[in-house]
Amino acid sequence: MDAYFVLKKQNEDINIDSNYASQSFWKEVRHRFFHKKSAVVGLIFIILIVFFAIVGPGMTEYDYSTQELTQKNFAPRVPGLENLGILDGTETLSTTTGSKEINQYEAGGHDDLYYWFGSDMYGRDLWTRCWSGARVSLIIAVAAALIDMIIGMSYGLISGFFGGAVDMVMQRLLEIWNGIPRLVIVTLLLLILRPGMITIIFALMLTEWVGMSRIARAEMLKLKEQEFVLASRTLGAGSFFIIFKEVLPNIIGPIITQVMFSIPTAIFTEAFLSFVGLGIPVPQCSLGSLISDGYDSFTTHPYQIIPPIIIMALLMLSFNLLGDGLREAFDPKMKEM
Amino acid sequence: MKKYILKRVLTSILTLLAIVLVLFILMHLMPGSPFNDEKLSDDQRTVLYAKYGLDQPIVIQFGRYVVNMLRGDFGVSYNISKNTPISQLIQSRLPISINIGFFAVALGAIVGLILGLIAALKRDTVLDTICTIISVIGVSVPSYVFALALSYNLGFKWKVFPMLYNTADALNSSIMPSVALSMFTMATIARFTRSEMIEVLGSEYMLFAESKGLTSSQIIIKHALRNALIPIITVLAPLVVDLMTGSLVVEKIFAIPGVGSLLVNAIQSNDYNVVIALSFIYSALYIFVMLVVDILYGIIDPRIRLGKEGD
Repeated sequence: MDAYFVLKKQNEDINIDSNYASQSFWKEVRHRFFHKKSAVVGLIFIILIVFFAIVGPGMTEYDYSTQELTQKNFAPRVPGLENLGILDGTETLSTTTGSKEINQYEAGGHDDLYYWFGSDMYGRDLWTRCWSGARVSLIIAVAAALIDMIIGMSYGLISGFFGGAVDMVMQRLLEIWNGIPRLVIVTLLLLILRPGMITIIFALMLTEWVGMSRIARAEMLKLKEQEFVLASRTLGAGSFFIIFKEVLPNIIGPIITQVMFSIPTAIFTEAFLSFVGLGIPVPQCSLGSLISDGYDSFTTHPYQIIPPIIIMALLMLSFNLLGDGLREAFDPKMKEM
Repeated sequence: MKKYILKRVLTSILTLLAIVLVLFILMHLMPGSPFNDEKLSDDQRTVLYAKYGLDQPIVIQFGRYVVNMLRGDFGVSYNISKNTPISQLIQSRLPISINIGFFAVALGAIVGLILGLIAALKRDTVLDTICTIISVIGVSVPSYVFALALSYNLGFKWKVFPMLYNTADALNSSIMPSVALSMFTMATIARFTRSEMIEVLGSEYMLFAESKGLTSSQIIIKHALRNALIPIITVLAPLVVDLMTGSLVVEKIFAIPGVGSLLVNAIQSNDYNVVIALSFIYSALYIFVMLVVDILYGIIDPRIRLGKEGD
């Protein structure tokens, strides 16, 4: 008989009670967060990249805009590693007559020069440019995400709290706005405004708040029927006090998570805009414009495009991992998506 | 149901009108005119303005524009290819872009579904971890990075596929762009399938199906997958947007003569009739997909049309 019937879902340990000391909300969040390896890895990478974005450009004697036209397209050369035969400034050029290996440092007599990531087609140091680009991209992304948070959160909270006609009008407007592809909004906006950091932040601000407002509204709808809101109102609190002082602190988890997810979107959009030619004006650079520059010569000098791509991919990956981890930490019951 | 569809159709039409209005206003705010040529005298400029109807009051220009748009007449291109009707420019390019987009969605959906299924069925094993890693990378790495990597390795180094699009060999040239574009779709669908499947597999009716004595393939295909598929429809709409954005860059990288590269050219050469036309087409396409997805979802899941909108 036993061969035919196998018991399913027999968890013996389900009957065992265990007692846990009650912990504060934030302590539990922290505990859950640090137990998820991928989230911690993401956090470490973000900290590393932010660190290099701050100090990286100052670590060399070059700055991001000085052009040294006699030293263009130098392959990466790192002190120490060069003795191991890697990153010693040699690169293989494939020409019509076959491939040949050249070392610009030796050929030009620049034995004391070190371009850690190489130099670009104008002889600018790529290490400095990569990290100042990462700095620009990060500033844009974080600023856009924070402004989105403020706008989207307020819109969603107000719409959800007042309900009725207000909600109806606000949601219809949102539906119409959401019906316009972001691509169209951003492109058009950057065409009429002068390209630059502020413009890109503004464009991102206009497009990315919708997701945030949806989350804020859904949370508000869940919370506004609860007793602490009623209690607050009985005590004579005004609407705005309830929205921002009573409800807001209770939905901070999903909001922070959403901010973490909108940062990679912002980085991606910025990179995309630079690639299309609507990004940060020269000589300033961002990760996107570096990739776009490197793209022009990526078959001959692939080392120029690799560092910015790796930094950007790592950054986006890390923010996604961090967001995933935070979401689970704040709300372990929620679905994984 | 009728009421729900009607409501959605009305919102869509309103959205489209709003877009045309926004496009129209924005285009008029744009700096620089297509007649920036210094060789033109003021008189010649006036003649040109009159020829293209740019001297009329805004309202009349707008009214005329809406009518023309709906008829598919987008005017002529000013800069990219002088005096060619835009509809003609687009006509030859749209099928190429749609083909590649369609390949990308199909490929992404199939591979994503398989990856998600494997991850859910072999939960917490090495296979699951591999699938999860693939999907996380697919979500976080922009499609043009994949495009560059493919183009460098397969196109430039090993010469498996043509590096640049070749109209004579459309099939082979579409493989790399489609694969690059499909990565995000694949990753999103894989993630979504995995979490939906895990939820469905843990439900009571799966236990019931198993206790009826159905084979595991029957259970998975007939019961689990079917229920898991419903919510996956919802991710399709956002994916279309991503495909549009991705196609711009991917088309530039592979030099595909599609609408994406046309839009990039138009942006860079300030050809605002083309930008308006393409923005309109992109928006219309997007709104149409959203409408279809919403209606489909309403038909499949009655809770949606019965007023439980929310998020």
